[in-house]
Amino acid sequence: MPYIIILVVSAIAQLFLPWWVIAPIAFLVGMMKSKSAGGSFFAGAGAIITLWIAYALYLNISSDGLMLDRIGGLFSESLKFLKNIPYEVSFFTIMALIGALVGGFSALAGYQFKQLVK
Amino acid sequence: MKFIKFFVSLLIAAGLTYILNRPLGALPALGKLFSPFEGFWQNGGNQSAPDELTLEGIKEEVSVIFDDNRVPHVFAKNDDDLYFAQGYLVAQDRLWQMEFYTLAASGRLSEVVGERAIELDRYNRRMGMAETARKIAESYKKDDIAFKVLTAYTAGVNAYLKQLSYKNTPVEYKIIGYQPEEWSPYKTILMLMNMRQVLNGGSEDFRMSNALAKYGPDIIKDLFPDYPVTESPIIPVGTKWEFTPVPVPAVPAEIAAKPLTKDGAVALNIAAPAPEIGSNNWAVGGGKSASGLPILANDPHLQLTLPSIWYQMQLSTPTMNVYGACLPGTPGVTIGFNKDIAWGVTNVGSDVMDFYQIKFKDKTQKEYWYNGAWKPVTIKIEEFKIKGKEALKDTVFYTHHGPVLYNHTSEKNFSKNVPVGHAMKWVGHELDNSDLMGFYYLNRAKNYDDYRKALTYYKAPAQNFVFADNHNDIAITPNGKLPLKWKEQGKFILDGSNPAHDWQGWIPAEQNPTVKNPPRGFVSSANQFSTDPTYPYYLGWKFAPAERGIRINERLEAMQKATIDSLRSVQNDNFNVEARRVLPDVLKILAEDPANASNSAYQALAKWNMKNDPYEVGPTIFERWVKELRIWVWEDDFSVQSEKEPMSHPTRDITWNLIKNTPDAKWFDNLNTKDKVETMQDIVKESFKATVDSLTAKLGPLNAETWAWTKVKSTDINHLGRLPGFGKQDIPNGGGGGIVNATSETHGPSWRMVVQLDKTWPKAYGLYPGGQSGNPGSPYYDNMVDKWAKGELNELLFMKTKDEKSNRIVSTTKISGKK
Repeated sequence: MPYIIILVVSAIAQLFLPWWVIAPIAFLVGMMKSKSAGGSFFAGAGAIITLWIAYALYLNISSDGLMLDRIGGLFSESLKFLKNIPYEVSFFTIMALIGALVGGFSALAGYQFKQLVK
Repeated sequence: MKFIKFFVSLLIAAGLTYILNRPLGALPALGKLFSPFEGFWQNGGNQSAPDELTLEGIKEEVSVIFDDNRVPHVFAKNDDDLYFAQGYLVAQDRLWQMEFYTLAASGRLSEVVGERAIELDRYNRRMGMAETARKIAESYKKDDIAFKVLTAYTAGVNAYLKQLSYKNTPVEYKIIGYQPEEWSPYKTILMLMNMRQVLNGGSEDFRMSNALAKYGPDIIKDLFPDYPVTESPIIPVGTKWEFTPVPVPAVPAEIAAKPLTKDGAVALNIAAPAPEIGSNNWAVGGGKSASGLPILANDPHLQLTLPSIWYQMQLSTPTMNVYGACLPGTPGVTIGFNKDIAWGVTNVGSDVMDFYQIKFKDKTQKEYWYNGAWKPVTIKIEEFKIKGKEALKDTVFYTHHGPVLYNHTSEKNFSKNVPVGHAMKWVGHELDNSDLMGFYYLNRAKNYDDYRKALTYYKAPAQNFVFADNHNDIAITPNGKLPLKWKEQGKFILDGSNPAHDWQGWIPAEQNPTVKNPPRGFVSSANQFSTDPTYPYYLGWKFAPAERGIRINERLEAMQKATIDSLRSVQNDNFNVEARRVLPDVLKILAEDPANASNSAYQALAKWNMKNDPYEVGPTIFERWVKELRIWVWEDDFSVQSEKEPMSHPTRDITWNLIKNTPDAKWFDNLNTKDKVETMQDIVKESFKATVDSLTAKLGPLNAETWAWTKVKSTDINHLGRLPGFGKQDIPNGGGGGIVNATSETHGPSWRMVVQLDKTWPKAYGLYPGGQSGNPGSPYYDNMVDKWAKGELNELLFMKTKDEKSNRIVSTTKISGKK
């Protein structure tokens, strides 16, 4: 349940608000809906991973991956190892990691907050 | 315990969010950049304008029709709406680029990229481009047409900015981490200043002064003459000057500042005029064309970048309909055609930047010696904001000549070439505000008289304006504000205390060289000398090498029944005129060396057809050897590399003339070999051997694949902001610096256009090495590059009316005003 709520609310919120709005959303949902520490983390991380990957996939496919090629070329100039992996793999991983860490720890912090004040 | 758990998880969550929302060293804010809702993912694809657009400021409905090359064809009912729409559309495709040029020209790059740009910024700020642009922008009166055009264009750019959110911001802003600023007429003028610097911003004065001090006037006259041995000037030899010249100032007793003492001797200077910055244009008259009406061609050679320096547009109102290449940030069409005429430009290489040695009274530099008295210096403090650092202040000293570019020897100069303690006099500082009107009237011109009238408005950087119309007139005019100089004034550093060394005025505009319908049936220019020495005024001692001009003229001379395709083939001509001039003699000398009989490089050169075609090996050996040879002949005598007193090498023209006609000149002896006197033959043979050795070391033994000219030359079109991965490398093509197809490693034809005039409707072709969109994630970012590399052209869709049907039309946007 927390997973779905974070996913839907942050999808709508991010249309109007900066990306970091996922942190307070995950925090609040973690606080109000989560039943365990692990559950809150995975709900937060999973929701943002799902949402970001799905939307980025859509954007990337509908633009033939042209922008990703450029960004890949840009980063792999100094981070050479990126040249050896398809950009789809490496850049979706980096993006998922960013979203997962912020979403996961925010939801966890929310859950822990509830434990503290309960 | 609960508290610690909460506190730790909160710290990690908040910390991560904070860190990912800020730039990390060289890395941009990663959370922002990677978020699919606002980061780089949002910039991909072909983003087209909506079918309906409502914009505050539009008076009557404007139709914008996009063709299959993403060229907007704008149909407006009045000028204000037209330029408003132009500003909006250019910003939509090129916002980052146009702002980047203005940041560079005004010395503000450090604000966005940090400390690494500070020397460039200081240099550009001292050069005074921002100051001049500000004064020009302020000089307009409310009713000036130029002011109205600038205001409308500015409003259009700002209307685009107003609806721009972070997620739609060009990706470069996201990566570098800054926000676009409002546009203003001042910024458009900065764009023009940028062109003044690119085209007129070089000087060899201090290098020539060093050479003069070392060798004296006779040798300088001999090796650095005021007119080359071979030349084919823009105004055909024999053209009558149909005016009474004004008196030219007398040549003073001393034509250069006295050699500098050890203390003040300095030798750093601004970049010499870049040889790659050149262009071709020509028009053949009806007598030479298949259609019986003129055909005009133009290809301006500039640094090749993505986004491209040009943007194609059709601009139409009830009183005007013009198509061509526009400079982003600048209203109107710069190179193009309308129903009746076509025009193009190449740069005039006249000497319009001089340096004056300044004698200050004391270290405070508050006064300087001029005309027998101390004259006050104007002091201005320039402030530089630097990203991530404290702001920096810099004092700039202005004399009546112009700004002192650098004043202390210890200063770190951005450009290795600025004379320390020297003031710059530059046509780029002229405050005439009518350049834009030159293009405004050309866009609307109907005949030769309109062309001549339009040129009176255009001042700097001086350009060779080629012209053709459907009344069968062709013409060319090296046009702009040209200083009225005494002979050789400014060939060397001038004396800032001597009034006779000041610029004394201007060549009357109507006496700029010009020719209409010459007997040879065509006009052309390739940056070579404007005229032969019979022209009554001194324009400069060195122009671009003659080869491109010679080749164009001989091709056009021979041409009959010319078509668009025959002119296109001239644009792509790879013939090496220099090789024709020297190769037979050189091969004879090389043949004297028995080792060359079995030398595959020698054989390749001997068999070469003298064309710089992409997959030939000959041009690789020849071009590299020519470079090497000049170093072998001249570097010991006129060192370019010298830290203390750098000089220039005599031109290739002079070098070839020496080899052919004065083979026993002392210059061939290498001064670095004390016990040996080298002959010309020795130098030719040894430099050839050295060239082949270094090519072999780099590329392996001679091989048609690895030694192919295109591989060795390797033309790159890099991103304007040098972002890796955003450019296009190793473009397969031929040509070279002295070739009509002037594609070098980094520079080349930045727009190729051929227009066939017609009584009813012209036919035009053109393209540039880039694409209409400035967005690196768009398929229209670099879609013209491959065709460009092959030397092909696109047919340009020049619409008669907005209702014209064409299967090339992709979409239409109607812009209406907000009620």
